[in-house]
Amino acid sequence: MGTVGADVGRTLDAVWKLEAARVVGALTRMVGDVGLAEELAQDTLVAALRQWPRDGVPDNPGAWLTTVAKRRAVDHLRRAKRTTALSAADEDQPHEPDAGADSADDVLRLVFLACHPVLPTAQRVALTLKLVCGLTTEEIARAFLVDTRTIADRVTSAKRALAERPPRAAGQLGSVREVIYLVFNEGYSATSGDDLLRPGLCHEALRLGRVLAELVPDDAEVHGLVALMELQASRSAARTGPDGEPVRLHEQDRGRWDPLHIRRGFTALLRARGSGPPGPYVLQAAIAACHAGARSAEDTDWAQIVSLYDALAHLVPTPVVRLNRAVAVGMAHGPEAGLALVDALADDLRDYHLLPSTRGDLLMRLGRAREAGREFERAAALTDNAAERAFLRRRADEAVTPVGRPLVDAATEFLARQDIDRATSRSYGQTLGRLRKAVGDRTPITALTEHDVLAMFTATWVQASAKTWNRHRAAMRSFCSWAGLPDLAATVDRRKEVKRSAPSVDVDRVWELVDVPVRERLLWTMLRESGAQVRAVLDLDVEQLDLAGRRAIGRSRVRWREDTARLLPVVLDGRTAGPVFLADRRPGPGRPPREGDLCPVTGRGRLSYERAEYLFKRATKAIDPTGAGFTLRLLRG
Amino acid sequence: MRYLMTTKAGGEAPDERLYEEMGKFVAELTASGVLLATGGLAPAHLKVASVGGEITVTDGPFAEAKEAVAGFALVEVRSEEEVIELAKRFRRIVGDGEGVIQQVF
Repeated sequence: MGTVGADVGRTLDAVWKLEAARVVGALTRMVGDVGLAEELAQDTLVAALRQWPRDGVPDNPGAWLTTVAKRRAVDHLRRAKRTTALSAADEDQPHEPDAGADSADDVLRLVFLACHPVLPTAQRVALTLKLVCGLTTEEIARAFLVDTRTIADRVTSAKRALAERPPRAAGQLGSVREVIYLVFNEGYSATSGDDLLRPGLCHEALRLGRVLAELVPDDAEVHGLVALMELQASRSAARTGPDGEPVRLHEQDRGRWDPLHIRRGFTALLRARGSGPPGPYVLQAAIAACHAGARSAEDTDWAQIVSLYDALAHLVPTPVVRLNRAVAVGMAHGPEAGLALVDALADDLRDYHLLPSTRGDLLMRLGRAREAGREFERAAALTDNAAERAFLRRRADEAVTPVGRPLVDAATEFLARQDIDRATSRSYGQTLGRLRKAVGDRTPITALTEHDVLAMFTATWVQASAKTWNRHRAAMRSFCSWAGLPDLAATVDRRKEVKRSAPSVDVDRVWELVDVPVRERLLWTMLRESGAQVRAVLDLDVEQLDLAGRRAIGRSRVRWREDTARLLPVVLDGRTAGPVFLADRRPGPGRPPREGDLCPVTGRGRLSYERAEYLFKRATKAIDPTGAGFTLRLLRG
Repeated sequence: MRYLMTTKAGGEAPDERLYEEMGKFVAELTASGVLLATGGLAPAHLKVASVGGEITVTDGPFAEAKEAVAGFALVEVRSEEEVIELAKRFRRIVGDGEGVIQQVF
């Protein structure tokens, strides 16, 4: 166990940040100039840095800083009076103000001064962080990713402007809110740099907002601003992934939203109620509250959000607000409606990366992946934030070659395509729904294997009709080709569909016949198992057979299963060439067959269709209700 | 950064002056946006334990009054130095005793 907090410099820094607003506020009131007040404050800090390491940190360091700073202000006033030789009356000397009721007024005055509308926004931000939050120039520069010189210049210019043209006491609350929200946003959705979130700035803005809400408790918009920041801050942990990449609102793990911030946000929003029509911050907070209150992304009340955006767009008709409204409309009334609104903004938001990225989202939902890819690419080129750029690039890649994505996303997009009709989409949906159940929604589609697909087919549809089986097979193949995957249904055999159900002939009774010669049995079995044409089977030559692969190589695509495989060697009887199916005897000299139709070993010819058909008819006469006998074609199913 | 500050019971019995000062301190911390939540803890407590998968709930046992946690404050600060400074200010008001500061993540 060691004594912690012994680093004097860091202790001073922490104490200063707690006291800065009050000290600088009081000094400004005393000397009447914010620039001079800040110089006196700096002198005080220098004195502390000299004295504290030597004498130890005072018991009450905050009080020490306040007292010393005020003493310096008094000294300064005395000197100023002597120089101007106005009056040396001691009773004019400002008395020690106690840190009571005045202090709040001092802070409020200081905030108004630092955020004064006569100053450019960048200067207001720098001055506020420096004087009110007590940040050093270096800290501000680091937070905004600019060099220290720039921030120092901004602070100096601001102080000079305020000294030359001392603004009237009454500042504008609107300007203060704007500065606070700007600081928050710079921290929350950093527009440049490598990190998406700079929590330090969010924290400063939140604290400033909370302070302001206490100082002007009757201003509904300040409470709205605090509510908005609290609600947005509640999502900080969930809005970036493990590698710092952004996670979109609807994909965020709502369990990681900070309930404390949410509760504080709702409380602040309640405090904003009941004072006339809601302003922009209250409306934005109400929108954030809609999200915070939804148990899941699907539960989001988009209609309510659209109406809030309507009100907001009425008050603040900026293109960015209209873009956000378009997103909400896209969710409430479909991507088509959203896209129309977004397209209307194309001229106003030419260089704003969220325009193409929003278009990309909507196009994806419309199944126009290629166009979406181009939009994401454009958006990536427009953002200065590295994490966001990487994210947009990835989305662009995925849009064009949708690989590596979770199955659920790819499936949803595939089914949302406009070029497939509703019935097909429903049918494909069944197939992909089964697949999602079988392998899991989050499985990247690149990880899917032929084995997964075959296993699913065997487990799910082995009992189903050939037609159903083939329908799912076609859906699977279509999905693979759309997603740029290899044909994962390659090992799923197409099944022969029964084309005619009537007349209902029970050709299957053929298998009950006894005393069928092995050649006939092979022919019939092969026709049944392969579903191939009769002529194609009769035309088979021994050289074409791939016995191990259970298929014929060559012109005719004939495949068979185990019964054929069992019978084939018996019929072939060691032959290595010539027709598989041989006639019973050699051809007569009057009808010489083609050379290929002759068995080189036995000299017998190929079994003819007519003969085979005749034999089958004769064999099946007894089981055919009509007594005519079946045709071979029926065996094909 | 968030910290949970807890304080153990003990010290002098609170009087009017202490209540008033604490009230001011809490109001000030709330106003400055630092204090997120605070509360006192009743000495009576239930113990919930799982041993070998069996969960039992028992009254007590009560630690010595001096050891029991009597209050907490959840604060959002910029640095460890800042929370230490807050703890010191709290101590100056309530007097002798001890407490614990832990970062919440």
